[in-house]
Amino acid sequence: MRAYINGRSVDILPGMKVKHALINAGLMREIESGKKVYDEWGNELGLDGAMSEGMRIFVKEDIRNTSPCQR
Amino acid sequence: MRRLNAVIACLFLFVLTVSAAFGDSEIRILHINDFHGFAEPYRPFGSDEMLGGISYLSEVAKRLRMEKPSLLLSAGDMIQGNTWANLFQGESVIELMNTMGFDAMVVGNHEFDFGQEVLKKRVSEAKSPVLGANVRGLEMLRPYVIKELEGIKIAVIGVVTEDTPLSTHPRNVTGLEFLSPEETLRECIKELRGKADIIVVLSHLGHHADRALAERVKGIDVIVGGHSHTKVEKPVLVGGTIITQAWEHGKALGVLDLTVADGKIIKFNGRLEEIMPSLVKKDQVVSEIVEKYKQRVDALLNEEIGEAEIDLDGENVRRRETNLGNLIADIMRQASGADVAIINGGGIRTGIKKGNVKVSDIYSVLPFDNYIVAIKLTGRQIREALEHSVSAIEEDAGRFPQVSGLTFSYSRSAERGSRVKEVSVSGKQIEPDKEYTVATNDFLAAGGDGYRAFGEAIKASSDFSVIGGMMKGERIVYSDSSRWLKDIVVEYIKAKKRVSPPVEGRIKEMVK
Repeated sequence: MRAYINGRSVDILPGMKVKHALINAGLMREIESGKKVYDEWGNELGLDGAMSEGMRIFVKEDIRNTSPCQR
Repeated sequence: MRRLNAVIACLFLFVLTVSAAFGDSEIRILHINDFHGFAEPYRPFGSDEMLGGISYLSEVAKRLRMEKPSLLLSAGDMIQGNTWANLFQGESVIELMNTMGFDAMVVGNHEFDFGQEVLKKRVSEAKSPVLGANVRGLEMLRPYVIKELEGIKIAVIGVVTEDTPLSTHPRNVTGLEFLSPEETLRECIKELRGKADIIVVLSHLGHHADRALAERVKGIDVIVGGHSHTKVEKPVLVGGTIITQAWEHGKALGVLDLTVADGKIIKFNGRLEEIMPSLVKKDQVVSEIVEKYKQRVDALLNEEIGEAEIDLDGENVRRRETNLGNLIADIMRQASGADVAIINGGGIRTGIKKGNVKVSDIYSVLPFDNYIVAIKLTGRQIREALEHSVSAIEEDAGRFPQVSGLTFSYSRSAERGSRVKEVSVSGKQIEPDKEYTVATNDFLAAGGDGYRAFGEAIKASSDFSVIGGMMKGERIVYSDSSRWLKDIVVEYIKAKKRVSPPVEGRIKEMVK
């Protein structure tokens, strides 16, 4: 199954989750440091959330901590 | 003051009268999804805040239910995940849900993880209907239920992801068919015409799929979603359908207020109530259930399951072959039927002293919620994986392997990338172009600790399909996310009673 993190493609097994996509992209440390995962509509995702084919997710600063101009 | 009170009372009566005159009704849907047995508050990875806790969530739900006629719904994945649920195969969660007075839930893919017999038992224990309109072969699941609030008939239809057979062991779904949610919903909606005013879909499909569903299937008023663990802070309107989802693990309670006139939703307003234990009170009744099972968890973790006849070395797993590494790798190879197993030493966190072994010992050795995956790799890819595994031995890196079904030698003094020398599988020299089935954990399969060989194989195996309940991929032969590795090791030791795995020269360091 192919998904995209910050525009970069990752290949993971069907049934794998957001955390697996992050592991694949080497981004777990970003989460540990406080960044969050969002879907393409700006909704935060849990790390155990299901991934789906073609899904686009983004690792970003917690949007609650950014100014409206940065969002 | 008395006059002000009288004015407020008059205004309130006026609003009620106007509402009644226009036939408006206010109803509320409270919802959670993907609870996964997280009964107690916890600090999410990367966060400083304690969140969740079902007794706190229950108190919030009680307060909100008192404000207006409400339904309490669950969009699935309730009974499996956290030890608090797993050790009782979800029975603890059903007791909670019964106490909290849920009105309906849909099965999530993980509801199948303990097998069909257990699921049937859980469904029979549930006081509220368990839905699964697109699951064929499990008669206990109802396609929908019609609830009535303020004279409004609300049909709640449940659908679960068609990919369920991809995310659990095939034996858990033997004989079951997961039909297209879209087609199933069209049929249900046709059947419900004239029987219900409002159609609510409890969807365990994921937010992405919910949006597609809303665009393609007409007649759905509300989708209460789950599966993708999406924090939909404000419900969205897609193609005339309201879509919402309440994150995960009971860290939020979804609140959707609907104003209904003449059987139609004329207004909606929704939000998530984040559950912060520091700010809310506990529901004492629910808290007692949480505590009761917590004590049973402690007792079960303390259970003696067997005996280690020798010390099991978990201290040196990042430096050399150890007997504990061998034991775990052997169990993984056996469970998956693979030729070879390769795991990261870093996944083994401690050792076990000679003597009685408790469940908690195994959970300390393997604290992560990892599961077994088996992938076909060529001999060349196995060698690459082993090269990577010894590439940071100077740093005691977690990537150092523990193996089963193969032996290899390496030289620490050689250049990184050419340290591995002899590699044999089942006593025969490895063949670069021959395919071998390699068991590992989901962490390494996803590319954890920098392992790329598994990822390359997954990439090459892009076509997955479910045939006869089995996931078929070009290179993927086993993937069972329904059972944690630690629980498989517990079962193994329970069955064996005594273990004394040797160190037998599977990993040899060549000394000049």
